[in-house]
Amino acid sequence: MTARSPLATALQSAVLLLFFGMIVFPIAWMMLTAFKLPRDVYQLQLGFSPTVQNFGIVFEAPWNIGLRIVNSMIVAFFTLAIAIPAAILSAYSFSRFEFTFKRGLFFLMLATQFIPAVVIILPFYLMFRDLGLLDTRTGLVIVNLAIVTPFAVWMLKGYFDAVPIECDEAALIDGASRLAIITRVIVPMALPGVIVASVFCFILTWNEFIFALILTRDKAVTLQVGLVSFRTERGDLWELMAAAGVFITVPAFIAAVAIQKHFEAGLTGGAVK
Amino acid sequence: MPDRIMRYLLLVPALVIVLGTTLWPLGSAIATSFRNWRLKRSPVPQGWVGLDNYAFAFEEPEFWNALKVTAVFVTLDVVIAVAVSLGLALLLRRAGVLQSLTRAVLILPFAMSPALIGVSFRFMFNGEYGVLAKGIGWLVPPLADVIWLASPGYAMAALILSDVWHWFPYLTLIFLGGLAAVPVETEEAALIDGATPWQTTLLVVLPQIKGVIAVALLLKTIFALKMFDSVQTLTGAGPGITTQTLAHYVYTIGFVHYDMGHASALAIVLTAILVGIGIVYTRLVMPPKAVAR
Repeated sequence: MTARSPLATALQSAVLLLFFGMIVFPIAWMMLTAFKLPRDVYQLQLGFSPTVQNFGIVFEAPWNIGLRIVNSMIVAFFTLAIAIPAAILSAYSFSRFEFTFKRGLFFLMLATQFIPAVVIILPFYLMFRDLGLLDTRTGLVIVNLAIVTPFAVWMLKGYFDAVPIECDEAALIDGASRLAIITRVIVPMALPGVIVASVFCFILTWNEFIFALILTRDKAVTLQVGLVSFRTERGDLWELMAAAGVFITVPAFIAAVAIQKHFEAGLTGGAVK
Repeated sequence: MPDRIMRYLLLVPALVIVLGTTLWPLGSAIATSFRNWRLKRSPVPQGWVGLDNYAFAFEEPEFWNALKVTAVFVTLDVVIAVAVSLGLALLLRRAGVLQSLTRAVLILPFAMSPALIGVSFRFMFNGEYGVLAKGIGWLVPPLADVIWLASPGYAMAALILSDVWHWFPYLTLIFLGGLAAVPVETEEAALIDGATPWQTTLLVVLPQIKGVIAVALLLKTIFALKMFDSVQTLTGAGPGITTQTLAHYVYTIGFVHYDMGHASALAIVLTAILVGIGIVYTRLVMPPKAVAR
């Protein structure tokens, strides 16, 4: 690149600083609010006496954030525990074999992403009502599979494609079965990809809102829907919402930062090479 | 087990999940859309009514309102988010302290939940004590007295702003990935030939990532069309129904009014719009290679 004028460089730095501030500020403001006393919430000064009492209050009745955290964790865990192994198997087949309707089937997987969540939830709501699965974590896991599984197949196929087929062939000659190849060769070799896909799916499930909003009332309410309960007759309890927000954000941030350098490939990995 | 069986067997678990959790509900919603079924009156579906639910849907002014709101939201949201992130990605290609600092935080908004983003922005756009409302009013004095979430146009602006905030850092990451694959030599050659930096960027660099831009546009359009979470938590579709997207309208008919037939018909219309845009888009814009390898 050619040398640039100092003015252009200064302008660029200013724009970058602005972007940095735009990204960080709303997160920082929410986190700060979590440490504020109610009277400080409505002030715009940065100086205030911090308190951790909000983090205690949200664990008490009627907020019971502890139960919400457990629900969110259990739903995310079981959704991934079912979706990721299933996706690994089919991503391997899509990656390594030729068969009739292969393109059609793969396209069908992706096309399901065009179906909005409100469409999926109508029949499930009616079915769960009959089966007694409303307000259960089991019900949430089932519907969450709908958003997570196609994504996982798509991403994993991209990562498996990058593993040379010679690895499979060498293992086949040694007499390994296809399942052994998947578990002992492909998954270990594409492990970073498997982790990225899992983290991606974790974030999707952890942040899922509309299914939980419609399907849960009390026992199975997740953190996301728990947020809505801080909107009371006394008005919005912003400092408690923010404290709950910290519990929502921290696990997702840790997961996202852990895989940050692989993230770009994420959503478009299977599509553009 | 021979591969010719194995290759299908391996597909079974994921296919069963995908068929059971997406295509079955779609089929079931289509069936319900031809029936009269108000949950408040009857726990079981009542008679078949043909296309009545669809005819009724198209007669409702609320449907046309939601369609208009969705169109406005999707257009502005997609254009702003993609343009901003493309610009930022171009700025971030150079090495530097500010660059790496900004790159480091790009992932954070995307990891945040849309519901929480909606709540946070509702707090920050509050007319009395919202830090964003006050900040914008200080920067642009004519906007100082605006009660953002109580005025239709401004509520829509807040909704778009919050969604752009959620998405532009992630889209920037996608574009950075695309830009990393552009050979530096092509740019150098153009500059040596006397092209200005602007010309080089517009005519040499951007055409080389048009595949990535196409994917980003499609991705953002689909997610914008399905917009529900922060409509619910930021504006509550208000004031009135001025920010009610189609997805939120379906939710309201289905789970506030409990009219399953009507809601299913609307849901199918929304799906048809999404699929239609998807098909047109893949045919016209996407490079054929990008659809499925």
